[in-house]
Amino acid sequence: MIRVLRVLCLLVVLGAVAAGLLMWKGWGAGPIPPASVDLASLDGPARADLIARGEQVARAGDCAACHTDPDGGSDLAGGMPMVTPMGTIYGTNISPSETHGIGGWSADDLYTAIAWGVAPGGRNLYPAMPYVSYHAITRADSDALYAWLMAQPPVEKPNTPNRLIPPFNLRFGVSLWNAVFRPDAAPFQPATDETPEAARGRYLVDVLGHCGECHTPRNLAYAMTGQPLAGNVIEGALAPNLTPDALVQRGWTAGDLERFLASGLAPQGVMTFRMFPVLSHSTSHMPPEDIKAITSHLLAGRSAPGPVPRPVAGTPDAAGHQLYLGLCAGCHGPNGTGQPHSSVPLNTNTTAMFDDPINLVRIIREGVEARDLAQGERMQAMPGFADRLDDTQMAQLVSYLRQRWGGHADPVAADRIAEIIRRVDGVEAAH
Amino acid sequence: MAIPKISFSATINGQKIGPVDLPEDLMAVELLQEYLNLTGTRLTCGQGVCRACTIIVDGEEGSRTVPACITGIAWLNGRSIRTIEGIAGKDTDGRPVPSPVQQAFLKHFSFQCSYCTPGFVNAATVLVESLAKAPIPVAEVEGRILTALDANLCRCTGYVRYYQAVREVILSTPGLTVDGPAQTANATVKA
Ligand code: FES
Ligand code: FES
Repeated sequence: MIRVLRVLCLLVVLGAVAAGLLMWKGWGAGPIPPASVDLASLDGPARADLIARGEQVARAGDCAACHTDPDGGSDLAGGMPMVTPMGTIYGTNISPSETHGIGGWSADDLYTAIAWGVAPGGRNLYPAMPYVSYHAITRADSDALYAWLMAQPPVEKPNTPNRLIPPFNLRFGVSLWNAVFRPDAAPFQPATDETPEAARGRYLVDVLGHCGECHTPRNLAYAMTGQPLAGNVIEGALAPNLTPDALVQRGWTAGDLERFLASGLAPQGVMTFRMFPVLSHSTSHMPPEDIKAITSHLLAGRSAPGPVPRPVAGTPDAAGHQLYLGLCAGCHGPNGTGQPHSSVPLNTNTTAMFDDPINLVRIIREGVEARDLAQGERMQAMPGFADRLDDTQMAQLVSYLRQRWGGHADPVAADRIAEIIRRVDGVEAAH
Repeated sequence: MAIPKISFSATINGQKIGPVDLPEDLMAVELLQEYLNLTGTRLTCGQGVCRACTIIVDGEEGSRTVPACITGIAWLNGRSIRTIEGIAGKDTDGRPVPSPVQQAFLKHFSFQCSYCTPGFVNAATVLVESLAKAPIPVAEVEGRILTALDANLCRCTGYVRYYQAVREVILSTPGLTVDGPAQTANATVKA
């Protein structure tokens, strides 16, 4: 008995030491590279140049996606909720307000926050701040971003307190997480065999664009796994698989992907859910060469022959066909061809192709508001049909769409629909 | 290739239609105008945006509006539908008598070109019918009118007269509000 106790004691002590070591490893930031410019000595034109570059970094990094004020008025004043399994986190005020924002920060502070996830005073940021992706930001980009941020109007808006479920509200826990999952900050280096465009694309996708934060599957500790961009359900929507194979299978050509990123619309789909703000804050403002670089990185030189409708899979659900004709065909056409600038074609749309029908169910239930996309593209409102379709009818319609255009012969059952709705409502309630 | 047909039947303005074989992808507005000569339902945007084509579908849970331009007969099959032609009543000589909503639109000069009017009549009629089932406090009337008619577009009038007309109907009809003047008047009469 005593022996057992001794072993137990030893284990507890070892555990505590290990945890202590991890905390120590994950606490605070490591070394940072030297500043890329001496901000104090920059003259007018050089500063204006730097600020303009900083704006491009802010666009490519899509700071506004999380730091925008959902009540409008500022892209940097914070308050945007992000629903995670650990609770709800609110984007913070990153305007140069001394009181509520980052007005008191230095360029070193900004780099440390972005690349190490550590704010001044050694406060760990939650990994909702994508420092795992941003860890490879270049110091030059971070400094340009700093110059731009500091040139924006300060907004005196207090931050919204996070609503995290204990123990996730304890910031020191982040140290443990960091010790295991945080890469060391290390400015991006092109690989020796990489073309400048390929390197730029990889940098934009993996680092600034932090695409993987939504599109890469996460493990139980909510860290990104080693299957980059393989698709992930996050905040009640599927961020689809963006690996070259998957994109090609869904009919993406390089040209369509470029159009999609720049204008929000392609025969394969329209920017929806969290990608609509990504379009309006980020990708629609990117220079064409960056869009090209992203596209060629994502497709890795591959390309589908075109957005060709998939052959019908199995026997399309007969009741679903009637529902389609009665509720959908008026805008999307009996053969799913859609109408330019008002309703998307469904025969080449990728939403019915995903294994997980969650996005399809949500779009049909909730509809989509009328949207000004970008470059003159727009879509009219799609009504939501939650009040006209029970779970059985939704299952029939969803099965039909997947069979007719999605390449999925297997029907979706009504209880699967009910489960999806419960899951989505849970995310809504957390907002 | 022959256009696939469905066997369609419905009750339209109280009259049984069908069963009749119709193209399966026919939209309600085409059925009404081209097959039944009910031309009062206005086709405007054809995209579900303007609601000029609003018709009423009656179900167990009450009445609701749907845009006839994008609602296929496949969904209306077997249902009971009202169009603008079915809204007015009749006097003893069989002459049409405007419904309270129609009367109020005339009285308030709510419309000019009238292209949007059948849609407004139907949307307001559904609102009145839903309030008859579940009356609301007067304080909520404005909000309810705005939500109920929000989707209906009118390019002539600026909406104010439509709003005033509907508000008058709601406030002067007993049973639509829980605390409106009509309730008080009614209570006095009863007492
Ligand atoms: S014509 Fe139907 S909504 Fe405009
Ligand atoms: S009266 Fe002309 S559109 Fe409404």
